[in-house]
Amino acid sequence: MNLAALKSDTQDIVVEANLPHAPEAIWRALTTGELIGRWLQMKPTGFEAVKGKHFTYQTTAAGAWDGVIHCQVLDVVPHQRLVYSWKGGHESITSGYGTLLDTVVTWTLQKIERGTRLHMVHSGFVLPRNEGAYKNMSGGWKKVVPRVGEIAGEQG
Amino acid sequence: MTEAAPINAVMRALADPTRRALFERVVGAQEITVAELTKGSGVTQGAISQHLKSLKQAGLVAERPEGRNVYYRAAPEGLAPLADWMSHYALFWHDRIANLRTLLKEIDP
Repeated sequence: MNLAALKSDTQDIVVEANLPHAPEAIWRALTTGELIGRWLQMKPTGFEAVKGKHFTYQTTAAGAWDGVIHCQVLDVVPHQRLVYSWKGGHESITSGYGTLLDTVVTWTLQKIERGTRLHMVHSGFVLPRNEGAYKNMSGGWKKVVPRVGEIAGEQG
Repeated sequence: MTEAAPINAVMRALADPTRRALFERVVGAQEITVAELTKGSGVTQGAISQHLKSLKQAGLVAERPEGRNVYYRAAPEGLAPLADWMSHYALFWHDRIANLRTLLKEIDP
């Protein structure tokens, strides 16, 4: 995981990995419903690696949100690039898990000498606008974790 | 994703500075054993195990036994009650890409 990206004020999550597999094998894992279910730990409904296709993921519900992530394939370049939208949440939830989410996931595969460089960007995060307890938690877990200590009063 | 533990349990687990430092090390590693966590920590292996147990009960870490070792990793859903989406997904993707690596070994040996 690219922790540097989390410490800055960026609103993207970037994960990069060099994998000892050909782009074709990784592409299969990224675009086959059955295989996605195994590594993402949730199986997509209606997924096809075809531009314009809509699909969903069922995640944990929260308040008025049914937990469904709505996605649409935005771009497909076989063995090289897969882009889809990732939307969820509910307007009635004002902080933390379940707030409105309108993001994009971009996978890029680049052939390297002994495999593939995999690059994932999850972009479009809007940091919480409301004042309050969550204000200082917007910078990722690196900020969240020490903050918890302050809130909990270090009582052990 | 699994149901998140109540916010109080998560706060209690992370209120202890030693336990919080331990959790940060687990998050920073892809997977790590008790022995590796004990090295250079200045705390006994027994104490580390106790702290890991608390973190596990709070839903913050998950374990995977393999042979004589138990490997610990951060559970991305654990911080959900506290965190915003970005924190949630940072851990989520970290965890899922590790899964992808494991799956690829199996389907493309």
